[in-house]
Amino acid sequence: MPKILGIDLGTTLSEVAAIINGEPKVLENREGNKLTPSVVSITKTGERLVGVLAKRQQITNPQNTIYSVKRLIGRRYSDAEVQRDKKLLPYEIREKSDGGVEVKMGDKWYSPPEISAMILQKLKQDAEEKLGEKITEAIITCPAYFDDSQRKATKVAGEIAGFVVKRVINEPTAAALAYGLTKKQDQKIVVYDFGGGTFDISVLDISHDTVEVKATGGDTHLGGDDFDQRIMDWLVSEFRKDQGIDLSKDPLALQRIKEAGEKAKIELSTAQETEINLPFVTSDSAGPKHLYYKLSRSKLEELVRDYIDKSIDLVEKTLKETKISPKEINEVILVGGQTRMPAMQEAVKKLFGREPNKSINPDEVVAIGAAVEAGILQGEVKDVLLLDVTPLSLGIETLGQVSTVLITKNTTVPTSKTQIFSTAADSQTSVEIHILQGERPMASDNKTLGRFILDGIPPAPRGLPQVEVTFDIDANGILNVTAKDKATSKTQTIRIEGSTGLSKEEVERMKKEAEIHAAEDKKKQEAIEAKNLADNLIYTTEKTIKETGDKISPDAKKDIEEKVEALKKIKDTDNIEDIKAKTSELSSAIQKVGAELYKQAGGQKAPEGSEGQKPEEGQKPEEGEYKEKK
Amino acid sequence: MNEDKKEDKNEEKKEEKSPAPEPSEEKISPLEECQKQRDEYLAGWQRARADLLNYKKEEMERFEQVLRYAGEEFVLKILPLLDNFNLIESKLPEDLKKDDNVKGIIRLKNQIEDFLRAQGVEEMETAGKKFDPNFHEATEMVEAQGAESGTVLEEIQKGYMINNGVLRPAKVKVVK
Repeated sequence: MPKILGIDLGTTLSEVAAIINGEPKVLENREGNKLTPSVVSITKTGERLVGVLAKRQQITNPQNTIYSVKRLIGRRYSDAEVQRDKKLLPYEIREKSDGGVEVKMGDKWYSPPEISAMILQKLKQDAEEKLGEKITEAIITCPAYFDDSQRKATKVAGEIAGFVVKRVINEPTAAALAYGLTKKQDQKIVVYDFGGGTFDISVLDISHDTVEVKATGGDTHLGGDDFDQRIMDWLVSEFRKDQGIDLSKDPLALQRIKEAGEKAKIELSTAQETEINLPFVTSDSAGPKHLYYKLSRSKLEELVRDYIDKSIDLVEKTLKETKISPKEINEVILVGGQTRMPAMQEAVKKLFGREPNKSINPDEVVAIGAAVEAGILQGEVKDVLLLDVTPLSLGIETLGQVSTVLITKNTTVPTSKTQIFSTAADSQTSVEIHILQGERPMASDNKTLGRFILDGIPPAPRGLPQVEVTFDIDANGILNVTAKDKATSKTQTIRIEGSTGLSKEEVERMKKEAEIHAAEDKKKQEAIEAKNLADNLIYTTEKTIKETGDKISPDAKKDIEEKVEALKKIKDTDNIEDIKAKTSELSSAIQKVGAELYKQAGGQKAPEGSEGQKPEEGQKPEEGEYKEKK
Repeated sequence: MNEDKKEDKNEEKKEEKSPAPEPSEEKISPLEECQKQRDEYLAGWQRARADLLNYKKEEMERFEQVLRYAGEEFVLKILPLLDNFNLIESKLPEDLKKDDNVKGIIRLKNQIEDFLRAQGVEEMETAGKKFDPNFHEATEMVEAQGAESGTVLEEIQKGYMINNGVLRPAKVKVVK
């Protein structure tokens, strides 16, 4: 079935996505990039360039390089926006005979749809090359505030490019589609789109069969670029203070500072502090000067606080028009690269009192939403095939009160996972399956979903019985846990509802707690592993001594017995290092004995209880370890 | 943008959610309905299985691509260090250039260049070449007596090729 392309036709950057193997995926262009600059140019030799190539030569050919044509498409020449942009754009713009707009490129005049069509044509060709098939249909997105004429012009652009345009959908609606929010009813959604150059707010009302735009707002000249400018200004001012030189007069230095500033801004979304290091940024009579400053996240937030506050004010203003309060909004979606900034996410969260949806790459979410729409139209993305994931890890409690994960978080369901466990004590005839949900390594820190007991296990040495535990989650999030003793085929099972139905807040909270306690949890885990290791070694050593009787020399036996006593004494203390040390000593001792016995036997089977049974260092006790019997 | 909102309140404020394509309307028995669904689900299941198997086959290819891409990304991250070294070298006063200590430090630059060459990276030659957006990014247009219009006057930042593709375009000043 031929694919329908989802196209985010942006003012400065465009992106394309399609459903691949049932999932919406952004496609790279011929240059290997996901983003294509919305720039078209005609060179002096008459060659047409589109995308990054057009951008690279922009400075050499400003009058014939058309960019930001989205600001003109579908508008009348007399529109205030056109008149304002005419003053800012370096290429010629004039009025068409019908009152529309025309732009000059080379020696010809083009309508804005014709220019956008050139961009769409490149996107089409690159996608066809990437997918290895012809594409005839597309869904193109546009801002929610586009009027009928602008939407029509966008559609025409698609048709000129050779597409059958199935729909022109709103960018905020596409974002809602990407997050699957249009499946629900009676949802009030706010889309907060903070891109490079524009800030757009949309309030959507999702009912059974429509998505209504209740209000739009924003600032067409507020974006991440302004944040970069603030960093630049700060660097120039600091440098002037420290060195008495004004770098704003030096275009080359400014260019370096701009790039470094943007890079620093991006790093501070994940780091608390970053360095801006520009050697030889300038020079004076005294010699070369270097720029070196540390920029902290809090300083950056201080520099741009008023922009963030302004954006929140604009959201409140837009909401007022709809008479919906922030707390009545069901979902918030973040779009645009700048929304990666933690301070911005915090401000949005604070206003609405809920976590915004941000798990999909904010640069890609609109294109992905358009692809989802394409999938729905084709019936490729059946409702029944829109699959959930299990938001938190699922597992059982094992020896040492540890949580052993069987299904990790974010696993797509339906799915099934089986693992074999065993008993913790000799002659243990029943096991308790304690089902846990959560990310913490200790069972008591996770949520109990259920418990049951499997009994009738034939008495055997610990670690011998094989109990197969299966976790099975169906598409509705119903978890069935089954424990089966492989010897007797005796089975016990429990059914748990709603294992995927946690609220977003709860999921976030549990994940955050796991992060906060990660260090101390790791320590606890290490302690338990050390203790388990010690326990196991003592058990197997004593077994070996008993079984081999006087095949071991009395001296060796005494040495081992002493080491076993020493280990027994400290294994229940908190001294992990000591436990590890004594375990290691005993281990070497018993290994020597094992080697000796092997030499004596000359090829007989090595005694049970050698290294093989000990769980690997660092691994949670999975094979061969189990909770104590009840 | 606020002006637009006041215009034309009649325009598309409501979009209809797309329905999935409608199945055909013929009248069929419950059994036939069930069988139709069964066939559909079986086909869907087989397709999903086939998709998975194909995905696995394509995965090895993808691994290679990712490794190559990761390698290129890594090299791209090292380039700014080399840029600074080139800058430093170009700004050194003559007497310092002769200093043995300084020469030793500049040797580091050669080490970085060797490392990059081993990854398949080649420096781009731009001097006197015709400006070509496939390889160059123009930062400025300058008047230059005696130089041909549209050629590269000066290199602001070196460009590099990797495996016969452009790793990073050269930033250049172009003659007006």
